[in-house]
Amino acid sequence: MVPVSGKEPGPIVQRIVEAYIGEYAGGKSEVALNRALELGREGRKVTLVDLDIVEPCYTLRPIKHLLEERGVCVLAWETRKTFGLGEAGTVLKADARWALRREGDVILDIGYGVEGSKTLSLVEGARTEKNLCILAVVNVSRPMTGTVDDIVEHVKGMMPVHGLVNNTHLGDETTPEVVQAGAGVVDGAARILGLPVVATTAVEEVARAIGPRDASGHPVRALTRYMPQAFW
Amino acid sequence: MGDKPIGGEKRVFMTGNEVVAYGALAAGADIMYGYPITPQNEIMHYWTRMVPKYGKGFLQTEDELSAGFTTIGGVLAGKRAFTATAGPGNVLMQEPMSMAEAMRLPTVAVVQQRGGPSTATVIYSQQEVILTTMGGNGEGLRVVYSTATHQELFDYTIKAFNTAWKYRFPTFVLGDGYQAKMRESLTLYDPEDRGIEMVVPEAFVGRSGTPGVDRPPAQYRNTYSMEEELAGALAENIAAYEKAAPEISEYEEMGTQDADLVIVAHGVVSRAAKLAARDLGKEGIRVGYFRPITLRPLPVKRIRELAGGTGTFLVVESAYGQLARILMEAAFGAAVRIVPLYKPGVGVTSEEVVTRVRELVGQSL
Repeated sequence: MVPVSGKEPGPIVQRIVEAYIGEYAGGKSEVALNRALELGREGRKVTLVDLDIVEPCYTLRPIKHLLEERGVCVLAWETRKTFGLGEAGTVLKADARWALRREGDVILDIGYGVEGSKTLSLVEGARTEKNLCILAVVNVSRPMTGTVDDIVEHVKGMMPVHGLVNNTHLGDETTPEVVQAGAGVVDGAARILGLPVVATTAVEEVARAIGPRDASGHPVRALTRYMPQAFW
Repeated sequence: MGDKPIGGEKRVFMTGNEVVAYGALAAGADIMYGYPITPQNEIMHYWTRMVPKYGKGFLQTEDELSAGFTTIGGVLAGKRAFTATAGPGNVLMQEPMSMAEAMRLPTVAVVQQRGGPSTATVIYSQQEVILTTMGGNGEGLRVVYSTATHQELFDYTIKAFNTAWKYRFPTFVLGDGYQAKMRESLTLYDPEDRGIEMVVPEAFVGRSGTPGVDRPPAQYRNTYSMEEELAGALAENIAAYEKAAPEISEYEEMGTQDADLVIVAHGVVSRAAKLAARDLGKEGIRVGYFRPITLRPLPVKRIRELAGGTGTFLVVESAYGQLARILMEAAFGAAVRIVPLYKPGVGVTSEEVVTRVRELVGQSL
């Protein structure tokens, strides 16, 4: 049964609806797709939605089939079905607009920073979806979100936001120290904003070294990096 | 004015376009003039985000002709001014940059190459080599740095301002769509902390004193009535350029001593070339790697030395022989054989380079 409105009886297990937003190149897609795969592995029905309508590169398009093979339904353009990228005119895919009417969990990957986060308003039912949790992904190694003040200002520009994800990393150079330092900064920002830090994310090896919780006590989610394969 | 933008050295993770914006900020650029075009847009986006914080300027113009001419205006007024563009925007940019060349003005333009001809793709290519090095009417008296990494995008954006102001030739930083959008770590720094002294810009117009009495007249001309007058001005500018060229030109090389085959590439493709040379070396196949960092002026002396002592140059590029063309001109008369690996408009992997080298080595056995 699809919970269309609050009047119908909800499913016994509440569905998970998460929207990942945040600074350009902060790691939203990587965090979102790993979350979708994680839920899929738990045997849940998951739809992952690519809502980047600005940026032609680093979208889910090139890895759509790979992710579908791993059990997640992916709503993203396919190269042969789209015309034009970026300035040439990417449009919102029709089934992405209606993604929240689907059964099961829905993970929304919303690209391109503060401006991109407005794309959420194009999704039907986003305003009334009671399970919707909007999470801002933050990489403290990105200079625009490098300090507590920067993060607070940045997140305030995207409200409503329900929680933060510390995705601090330096690509191949990431160490547990880099991630832990990021956790401290994100934690500081979260306290000022009055928001929870729902997770610290890191590639498996680093996540293992940190353990189940980071230095600020937030749960650690291990990531497998898929996005380097998704360039253009 | 706001705080100093970059305090101390900091390891960061960024996209190439952001790196350029931060590089310009670190170089003390005063104002950017620009018109949006993919794949350079985030240079403008990030620059404009930082403008209020650091007391900088930005003007969005109606097209790239205007972006180039307003950059010239900023420079004439004594501002460290710059612009950024790509593809068809770079075509329009050639007219103002020719004017800067004629008037010997220190403009800085960052170009993130995209596919051509015409509007083609917004994605990537190395097809703006001839356009950026020789695109104007005139003699191509300009400096073009071709970067390969995010660190270099930062370093050479800073350096471009100094080269431009020191030698007074239009200076370009030539990147591409891949470099623009890729994410990579690099170290940001304040040039002053590394002992890099930024040339202080001077106003070209509105100087104090009476011209011809208190100071030499400031004449910056792009038009001449008589052929002889133009020939005289050109001779002076060409002589200045030729004198500066050996000081400006830069290259990178690896394992070229006694190598019979040298892989030549520039920009982001040189990463694949370098990796291929390294991997082949591990297999015992000795190949050299050479990369001009300045595409204009080319490191002619070193190219001629290599061309004289090397059997084959394998020229690898995401264009149909644009690097090869300027390379052949520099190496003219040398015995070296030029073998192409041209992939116009698409990227080149190290595996493709390795395969081509294996074929060539196999042929010569």
